[in-house]
Amino acid sequence: MQASADTLAFLRDVRVFESFSDPDLTVVTERLRQRDLRRHQILFREGDSGDEMFIVRRGTMLISKAVTGKVEQVLVRVEPFDFFGEMSLFDGSPRSATAQAETDVELLVLGRDSLQAMTETAPHAAAAFFYAMVQVFMERLRRSTQQVAEATRWGLEATGLDVEAR
Amino acid sequence: MQRPAPAKFELLVRRDGEEDFELRQVASVIGYLNSRPRRIDADSYEVSELRSRVAAAPGFILKNKTTDRFLLLSAQERFLWDQMDGATSLQEIATAYVLEYGEFDFEIIPSLLRKLQRAQLLTFEPRSRLRAALARNRGRVIVKAIELALTSLERIRISTHNVQGFFQALYRYGGFLVFTPFAAVACTMLVVVGAAAAFMLFRDVHDMLAGFGRHTLRGILMVKLLFFASVALHQFVHGLACIHYRRRVREFGFTFLHGFVPTFYIDVTDIFMATRRARVVTAVTGALVHLVLGAIAFIVAAEAPTGSFTQAFAAASGIIQWQALVVALYPFCFIEMDGYHVLVDVLGVPTLKHDAIAYAKGLLTGAGRIERGSEELLWIAYIVLSTLSVAGFIAFNIWIIVSATH
Repeated sequence: MQASADTLAFLRDVRVFESFSDPDLTVVTERLRQRDLRRHQILFREGDSGDEMFIVRRGTMLISKAVTGKVEQVLVRVEPFDFFGEMSLFDGSPRSATAQAETDVELLVLGRDSLQAMTETAPHAAAAFFYAMVQVFMERLRRSTQQVAEATRWGLEATGLDVEAR
Repeated sequence: MQRPAPAKFELLVRRDGEEDFELRQVASVIGYLNSRPRRIDADSYEVSELRSRVAAAPGFILKNKTTDRFLLLSAQERFLWDQMDGATSLQEIATAYVLEYGEFDFEIIPSLLRKLQRAQLLTFEPRSRLRAALARNRGRVIVKAIELALTSLERIRISTHNVQGFFQALYRYGGFLVFTPFAAVACTMLVVVGAAAAFMLFRDVHDMLAGFGRHTLRGILMVKLLFFASVALHQFVHGLACIHYRRRVREFGFTFLHGFVPTFYIDVTDIFMATRRARVVTAVTGALVHLVLGAIAFIVAAEAPTGSFTQAFAAASGIIQWQALVVALYPFCFIEMDGYHVLVDVLGVPTLKHDAIAYAKGLLTGAGRIERGSEELLWIAYIVLSTLSVAGFIAFNIWIIVSATH
């Protein structure tokens, strides 16, 4: 992908690239691919194999996890400047959730091979990338913990269960 | 401390197409209203009456025989306890309470639930056992097909909750006339003339539906379409009655009744907070739409040239409208229509259909007879009358179709 001024300006506001120098950002940009999704198109399903992460440039992605039958719980909406799918990028495990376009979406795709190349050619940039990624992981872990608490609260409210009483 | 907003889930429900979906917000309060509390097994508890010289109404002692815990229940709480059979949702229990006592205490149900849970006297059942069973056996093609059909039909629901203003305006700009003595007199006169016209038609015209000629199917479809529109009018009048008694219309929409009958519906449950007279008037006036429309149709049929399409169309419409009136007001047909709601309101037995079916099921499956004195007679009467009525209704419709096609 060509490192256009627009793309570079966009990536500067993506959290994992915030600390990148201009030359490093240009190198990363050249390794990114663009992928467009039409509204409601499924990018990947829970259980699929994968080795790419995606940055949302335009539109909204829904990340959902199967609950029962045809019902899935919406875990998060991914808006522009945010990213998803990074877990498979690191450990190569199957996708833990389904990603589907809520609107027409424009994505930037970063593959595992690109990440490895970046580690070798621009170690300083790679370190900044991994540091930012750890911070994001911690935030997402906190959000997951909060979701578990909300799910418990939902269950207590829906059943009227009085757990405070002895 | 400020109470947090009810917890919500955002769920993505897939449609038949691979990528198509619908997003639904499910608040915990919806789960609460749809939950179906169930008493522990009858062998595990006992209830005894507690008479007091001070209090007019008796109290009750409810004992969990397993834990030896006691609860003191009021008559109202005893009534609620009796409803908690695992098949009745909290929303239905609240409605039954209002019908029984004519008022509602917003704290009584949550408070009783807390007491019962603490005493380990309660369990909770899933919303629909049928749907749970279907989901478990989804591997079978036929089960999957049934589930898909039910799900598809259930999804077709077009409704709006923002209708109070519309019905208030409708009432203000003429709807109030429906509830005046003038309207009552005009409708009575119209019905008398319509009944006379119907009598003359049946006496003088050998085959009222002959006018359909070779266009029987088109005629029947047109009659059904007109009837479908009249169902919307029926619901509008329910809404106007609700406004007349200064209550709130919560929702108006279109759906498939019981999963397969296309119909319009209106949520006038706020009328439960009004007087019994208001509830009865609201229930009955909607159905009277069919009486008036049927009368008009018979008058038109009587005036139309004998053997014409107009006569056949009007006569068939008259029959179907008056038939709808009977179905709506006749309480014994296993369907909870307007007449059923009036009946249970007057009798003060809000769970009549449910109890009667449970009684019949117990007898038929050999699970045992539920002995409840005079209520048993009421259940038997309901089952017998409903069965005969449904059979008669089906036979009558077959006769109409056979008459129209020969």
